[in-house]
Amino acid sequence: MKKLLLTAGALALAAGAANAQVACPIKIGATAPLSAPGAVTGGEAMRDAMAIAEADINAAGGVLGCDVQVVVADDEGLPERGRAVMERLITQDGVVAVGGGYHSSVGLANMEVADAAGIPVVYAETWNDDITGKGLKHIFRIAPLSSEVARIFADFAATVPGVKKVVLVAENTDYGLPASEQTKAGLDAAGISSSVFTVDIGTQDFSGIIERIKAEDPDMIIQLLTGEASYNFTQQSAEAGIGPQDIPTTCDQAALESGAFWQNVPDGNLCFVNAVGLPRALYNDKTNAFVAAYTAKTGKSAAESYAMEAYDSIMILAEAMKIAGSTDGDAIVTALENITYQGTLGEISFPYNSANPPAAAGVAPYFWHQFPNPAVTMVQYQEPGQLAADAPNLFPPQYKTGEPIWPASVQQ
Amino acid sequence: MISHAPKIAGSVAAALLVLFPLVYSAGNYDFVMHLWITAFYYAILASSWALLAGYGGQFSFAHLAFMALGAYGAGILDNYVFLTSLPTGTCTEFGLLGTNIVFLPPAGTGDAGACLTAARATWPEGATVSRFPLLLQIAFGAIVGGGAGWLIGTLVLRLRAAYLALFTVGLSEILRAVLSAEIWLTRGQAGMPMSPLFPEGITILGTTYGPAAKLPAYYVMLALFFATLSLLLWVARSRIGLFLRSLREDEDAAEALGVDTVKWKRAVFVLTAAIAATAGAVQGHYVGLITPNTLVLLQMSLVIAMAVIGGLENLVAAAIGAILISFALEFLRTDFTILGLEVDMTTWRLVFFGLLLMLTLRFLRNGVIQGALMWIERRGVGAETVAKRRAAEEAK
Amino acid sequence: MDHPGFFSLAILWMVLWGAIGGAVIHRAYLARDLDVTAARTVGVAVGAATGPFGLVPLYLRTPTLTRAWQALPWIGVVTVFLFAFRASDPDNVCFTSGTFVTSQLVNGLIMGTIYGLMALGLALIFSIIGIVSFSHGEFYMIGGMVVYYMTEVWAPGLGPIAAVIAACAVTFGIGAAFERAFFTPIYAGKVERPNEYAILVTFGLAFFLQYLVQGLSGANPVKASPFFELPRSEWPAGAPIIETTRSNIKLFDMISISTPRLTAAILSVVMLLALIWFLYNTWTGRALRATAQDRQAAAVAGINPGRMNMLAFGLGCMLAGLAGAVLVQAFSWLPQTGAIPALRAFVIIVLGGLGSLPGAFIGGLILGLVEAAGAGCVPDPTRAAAYLPAYGMIILTLVLLLRPQGLFGRKV
Repeated sequence: MKKLLLTAGALALAAGAANAQVACPIKIGATAPLSAPGAVTGGEAMRDAMAIAEADINAAGGVLGCDVQVVVADDEGLPERGRAVMERLITQDGVVAVGGGYHSSVGLANMEVADAAGIPVVYAETWNDDITGKGLKHIFRIAPLSSEVARIFADFAATVPGVKKVVLVAENTDYGLPASEQTKAGLDAAGISSSVFTVDIGTQDFSGIIERIKAEDPDMIIQLLTGEASYNFTQQSAEAGIGPQDIPTTCDQAALESGAFWQNVPDGNLCFVNAVGLPRALYNDKTNAFVAAYTAKTGKSAAESYAMEAYDSIMILAEAMKIAGSTDGDAIVTALENITYQGTLGEISFPYNSANPPAAAGVAPYFWHQFPNPAVTMVQYQEPGQLAADAPNLFPPQYKTGEPIWPASVQQ
Repeated sequence: MISHAPKIAGSVAAALLVLFPLVYSAGNYDFVMHLWITAFYYAILASSWALLAGYGGQFSFAHLAFMALGAYGAGILDNYVFLTSLPTGTCTEFGLLGTNIVFLPPAGTGDAGACLTAARATWPEGATVSRFPLLLQIAFGAIVGGGAGWLIGTLVLRLRAAYLALFTVGLSEILRAVLSAEIWLTRGQAGMPMSPLFPEGITILGTTYGPAAKLPAYYVMLALFFATLSLLLWVARSRIGLFLRSLREDEDAAEALGVDTVKWKRAVFVLTAAIAATAGAVQGHYVGLITPNTLVLLQMSLVIAMAVIGGLENLVAAAIGAILISFALEFLRTDFTILGLEVDMTTWRLVFFGLLLMLTLRFLRNGVIQGALMWIERRGVGAETVAKRRAAEEAK
Repeated sequence: MDHPGFFSLAILWMVLWGAIGGAVIHRAYLARDLDVTAARTVGVAVGAATGPFGLVPLYLRTPTLTRAWQALPWIGVVTVFLFAFRASDPDNVCFTSGTFVTSQLVNGLIMGTIYGLMALGLALIFSIIGIVSFSHGEFYMIGGMVVYYMTEVWAPGLGPIAAVIAACAVTFGIGAAFERAFFTPIYAGKVERPNEYAILVTFGLAFFLQYLVQGLSGANPVKASPFFELPRSEWPAGAPIIETTRSNIKLFDMISISTPRLTAAILSVVMLLALIWFLYNTWTGRALRATAQDRQAAAVAGINPGRMNMLAFGLGCMLAGLAGAVLVQAFSWLPQTGAIPALRAFVIIVLGGLGSLPGAFIGGLILGLVEAAGAGCVPDPTRAAAYLPAYGMIILTLVLLLRPQGLFGRKV
């Protein structure tokens, strides 16, 4: 039996070695939630963005003389499925690297599978600190760190005039829960009191909890909800008289798809939205080209952050393969550690790596293989029906392009 | 000879399943192994549900709730209880036969093991920390699940048909809400991590397999599947099976004839719940993570559909149905283009699946697999009769 | 909560005496050869409300258990529970803020009306065909989708009322066609176990419809614009009693009502009155009621039961579609939207009594209030909303255990 297995293994290895030379097309895997209970909206946006990445790479002549094929697998937003599809991508589809990724829980569950198989992964939209915090050799991330976003929230709240008490509304997921803890800690540090309301994902009717938030009489509401939950919450809070026009409210980044936002949240004006990626004024050629292609393909009015991140995750992997001159996992990792890549998100690099470990550089361990400074900004819709691209950036100061319009409670 | 056909076919199939991991060697080995393990898991759930619903007539939607109780029961021991060779002094602990059983305080998404980590730093070389034994974890899961089965079996004594279905839907939803809201214990939607089946790896016949290797997990799940199926078949063919059928056909008449309906109703709930819980505990260790989403109604409907499409009143057919469907759902994911229209199979496969379920129920009341089995059997009988007649005629 | 220990003790006390009461009183009535149908339930209620002080006299006297006996102790249970809750958590907003309580009550009643309408459909189906449909949520979802497509995409000029009528027509059509195609074997006696068959086949339909809609319309959240929009106004000016903004009405400066929900509730009540008129004043309606009361007798009187079945299932599905049609202007809509309302409809018909039409409506109101109370009064804000889907389910399981026939149902 042992002999049989060894022979099989040797055969597979030999086949692998032969393939490494000329395996056309080169397959890059990706995971995204494409069916419930996952966030299908986000998953489909990422799938469309990665299809554009595939077309762009191939139009520019492919990689190492081959066409690239992006294989998107449905992780259903379930960690156990996420693990299975990662196995499928690696062993069945034979991908050489993996991009995409939406839910943090899925990323946490499947990153070790890829790492053990020696397949590099660039996560696009998984915010949980632990993804890079584990310091795995093959794991990279271009999404912002949850704790960094929490810091932006807390710092921004401190700039809103007269804010003493904040209500955090978090979904009970591994995005919402750590984010609420981190944001609360940040607010505490700034001397702002806060209370956390946790809601079940899939909640449609928030009216009871909104009345309760109203009874707390907060000076500001920070939402840590995703997708349609954020839409529902924002619109229903407006209908209950504590909407974005009544007190300062932050909305989920899903609001940046302005067409869907205004359809779902007609009373969402003056909402503050945390945006990942370059502010409109700093868009580079790649951002412009991608947004044009994406809006043409999907009929949406703008490109969401996660679409841009998904696009960049595939593009940067292709670029790393070109630099490495091979599709070998370790070679790609080395190339990624040294890369400086102009993407739709700006200039991407991974400065804290095996040559410069986080501990030696004096930063937190989760900066390992992390794109340390994706632009995370606060933008504000300032008139109903405004396009996301026209909404001004308010925070942080280096990206500021406009003055905030404060809602009624601040003006009084 | 005809009567031996199913037995022979069964033995051949079993032998093939045992040999498969040794013979198969394609590049997608790990993935195919994973599909098989998942298929066995669903087959265990579907066949045990078929005994409960098809034989006992107890149309319960709580089967995955039992599964989750088993998995979380094992998971809680796995995460919060450890055996150490030295006392920590700071954690809650007590000594037993020279080892210390250490209970860590549940800490939600935080670090539960702080006191243990601190103690370990001061320990001399050679001090050991090991997880709560795997078999005891699984046994505990099975007891939790079986206990819940006893409780629910008792509570639903008065409820029938639609009432039973709604009651069990309600219980599963409550359990799901508790598992996702009590984050301090279960880590909520983030899921509870579980150690691999064999964290140190395992050596079988001189070959060492790492903790992530598929082959040991394959044999564990296969053994559980065979054991489950044998147990279920034995129960179904014994006198108990008859009692169960009498429950299904006419509970009042059965009671009048002296069948202890209360006892058997409870018993079938305990048995199938314990089986589901064991499967859940093993699957949890294999996957390495359990989340409350594993018991949404959608997942339960999947198990039910597998049993129904296979054949509700035939445990083997239900198991085969589960294996075929879990493979089909995976391989039907490939998108294709027809008449210039791109079909996104991720979604459409479930449309076809729903349609298949409806049509099976409407036109093949015994299920596809069971129907096919019966057809083959009858065809054999027909041929045999014809042959016998001919032989008789020729003899004249 | 200030005194969680006291609260736990009080609950334990109630559960303990409830259990004792259920067992002992049942036995007492059995021993004296009296009617035991209600004995257990009354025993539980008297035990929980009064402990030994009520149980002992009840045990000794064993009075005839009239309707009053079956109802009053339950009011006692609720009162005792509320007192215990108040004593252990005196600062709870549910006791300190009249504004909050009134808002929650109003909101609970508004949502309860719409829930009731949806559950009415399920009750109608059960009363005629005797089965529980597991695809009710999908009809709710389709009703909303039709209104969205009619008002926003296909025929924006026709107005919301035409769209609601179209939604009714579509859901009635699908329901009636499905009934003809899949339920006829039940009536012919060809199905061994009709209840289970019906549950499974409607489950299959739910699967089919949900993913069909996702395949056809995609997974992005959509929403219809509000049917009516209010101007911003105050009456009387200066110190307003009624104050309106675009999507919000405020009464006495304290109760705020969302306009889309109010219009949805008003439309529901109108449709409900139309249904009652139909059931009581038309030949078909009377025939339906007759069939619900006694199938054989109705058939003898010349009513075609097959046609009644089709009509009942179609109408039932239409009521679910209608609830969705009026709510799609209040909530963001997805193909998965139906799951939670379907569970809610189960709770309501069990509470009201399977097959009881007034029970379904009153059950809807009760559930609306219970959910509002749960979200509003549960002390821990990280649990109050996270348990939202469970409040109804707790009622469902308790009712099935204590009084399976529900509030108004016939004996099981």
